[in-house]
Amino acid sequence: MRAALAQLPLRRRRGASPFLGRLLRDRLALAAALVLALITLAALLAPWLSPHDPFETKPIPFQPPVWAEGGTADYLLGTDGQGRDMLSRLLHGTRLTLLIAVLAVALGGGIGVLVGLFAAFYRRLDGVLMRLADVLLSFPAILLGLAFAAVIGPGMGAIIVALAVATVPDVARITRGAAVMIMGQDFMEAGRAVGLPDRTLLWRYLALNCMSSVFVFLTLRFGQVILIGAVLSFLGLGARPPAAELGMMASQGRDALLFAPHISTLPSLMIVLVVLCANVLGDALRDTLDPRLRNT
Amino acid sequence: MTSDGVLTLDGPAPDVAPEPAPLLSVRDLRTHFRTERGLYRAVDGVSFDVRPGRTLGIVGESGCGKSVTSLSIMGLVPEPPGIRAGGEILFEGEDLLKKSRAEMEAIRGDRIAMIFQEPMTSLNPVYRVGDQIVEGLRRHRALGAGAARERAVEMLRLVRIPSPETRVDAYPHEMSGGMRQRVMIAMALACDPRLLIADEPTTALDVTIQAQILDLMGDLQRRLGTAIVLITHDLGVIAETADEVVVMYAGQVVERADVRTLFADAQHPYTLGLLASIPRLDESRSRLQTIEGAVPAPNAMPKGCRFSPRCPLADSRCLREEPPLRDLGPGHQARCWYAPIEEIRA
Repeated sequence: MRAALAQLPLRRRRGASPFLGRLLRDRLALAAALVLALITLAALLAPWLSPHDPFETKPIPFQPPVWAEGGTADYLLGTDGQGRDMLSRLLHGTRLTLLIAVLAVALGGGIGVLVGLFAAFYRRLDGVLMRLADVLLSFPAILLGLAFAAVIGPGMGAIIVALAVATVPDVARITRGAAVMIMGQDFMEAGRAVGLPDRTLLWRYLALNCMSSVFVFLTLRFGQVILIGAVLSFLGLGARPPAAELGMMASQGRDALLFAPHISTLPSLMIVLVVLCANVLGDALRDTLDPRLRNT
Repeated sequence: MTSDGVLTLDGPAPDVAPEPAPLLSVRDLRTHFRTERGLYRAVDGVSFDVRPGRTLGIVGESGCGKSVTSLSIMGLVPEPPGIRAGGEILFEGEDLLKKSRAEMEAIRGDRIAMIFQEPMTSLNPVYRVGDQIVEGLRRHRALGAGAARERAVEMLRLVRIPSPETRVDAYPHEMSGGMRQRVMIAMALACDPRLLIADEPTTALDVTIQAQILDLMGDLQRRLGTAIVLITHDLGVIAETADEVVVMYAGQVVERADVRTLFADAQHPYTLGLLASIPRLDESRSRLQTIEGAVPAPNAMPKGCRFSPRCPLADSRCLREEPPLRDLGPGHQARCWYAPIEEIRA
């Protein structure tokens, strides 16, 4: 055992934390990263991996998955209430859900990071920007979703905008918090003392040093966004039928929950899996990228 | 009195050999801060000169305004809450307080450079040290990437970092505190500044490294002819490196003298108190002297002499009237009604 441990590559020197605990955490994170990568790959390749057309209805509704009684190998995960292949819909649904989450996090996270950096760097803007963020923060994401659906009309656009808007204030606050700490560091003043212009200080000194904590938060946020997005779709504010989206699929299957539970539970399980992996990965990233541990 | 150098006085010039014009001349500098608890006069009427190639030491305890003085010279006081309440900072004949932001940016790091107290946190942790030196260089000099890197290596060699060719690619966290302070010095001197402001450059280092860094600074000063403003609370550092000394208390200059005069013939009770609180090898004392009390709070500044609440000599006049900075000899001034004091038992 000891010999096996000694052979493991030690990536960083750490004194305090118990080594085995860390190792286990890292393994868990590795597993989460692998699963997430697999799911992403499958989602990306959905058009080629799908055994059937996800939109084509067949006269065999409510067929159970292959492992249940009455299932066939032709429809591995069975069919839904309209006789569409569940596996194909699951792959396409995951693809759409991930796309929505990525776009929302990129858009909202990008704006949030900018707001947070500017608030910390230009102290005069701080009050205004952060009060605006507080205002946004006081609207629940679901309410935002309803509002945008009412304005833009329900669909992909509304859900992405709503999720992005809901992401902005949190990211802005996290970024500002990290950036304010960095602003107090001596190297910011040292950079000024060398005569560096604001542009350099803002991007190369401030932003680069905040990125690790912001990145961790965005990873965790990714899981939340998928969850909220699924809720919005479940409520019928997101993707429109016949498109496949995990939240909407879970919603469509709920009438058949008693006699064909796979229609609702499979997409729900996929959501759980993706969110879980994103959270585990985010936690592990936080542990490894925490700026307070970086100097050890 | 020493033969090397006499301070230029505020009043009529003394009849001695012509002095080189001061490189930096701070005149009645007032830097205040607007805080929630009222106006804080961090620097309140400070004047001193720094001549080319010489070292001026600024001494005082925490909160006396010495760091704010240095930040004012650099134009690094955040405004708000900082306020330029008056005075002028003449550098090579130009008033730095009248410069625009862009003009100050061009001067900082080029003609005036600064090194800081905390070498552990004064370097950007996500940069290689060489890149950091290069960035400052290229901000002020039209150098290609290759030439700038060569210059960075040369600077690291100048500050005696072993194997500078490989160290140039090291990250700050791979270096010790002393090494990082050397990198800071290399960065500060890369553009060959006329004036280097060193704010407690050795405070965070252990004693042997302190001596090395001070030696290095002295050596580079002789070679490059850089004038240094050395800010410290450590009179030992002053004795070793400074040519002239300004003692600050509560935002004011309380005594000004060349270094030998200060150590041999200090005239302000505060300076005497500081001197008495240094441990000495040639006297056996059971207890070190201390100055009772602390620097007065900025919003509770005494009406008369600012040192009067802690001064063993204070009488009713000291509590009532603020003493002016008075000439006591060539280049020697003190802000005390009792100066010159010949005999004092603090």
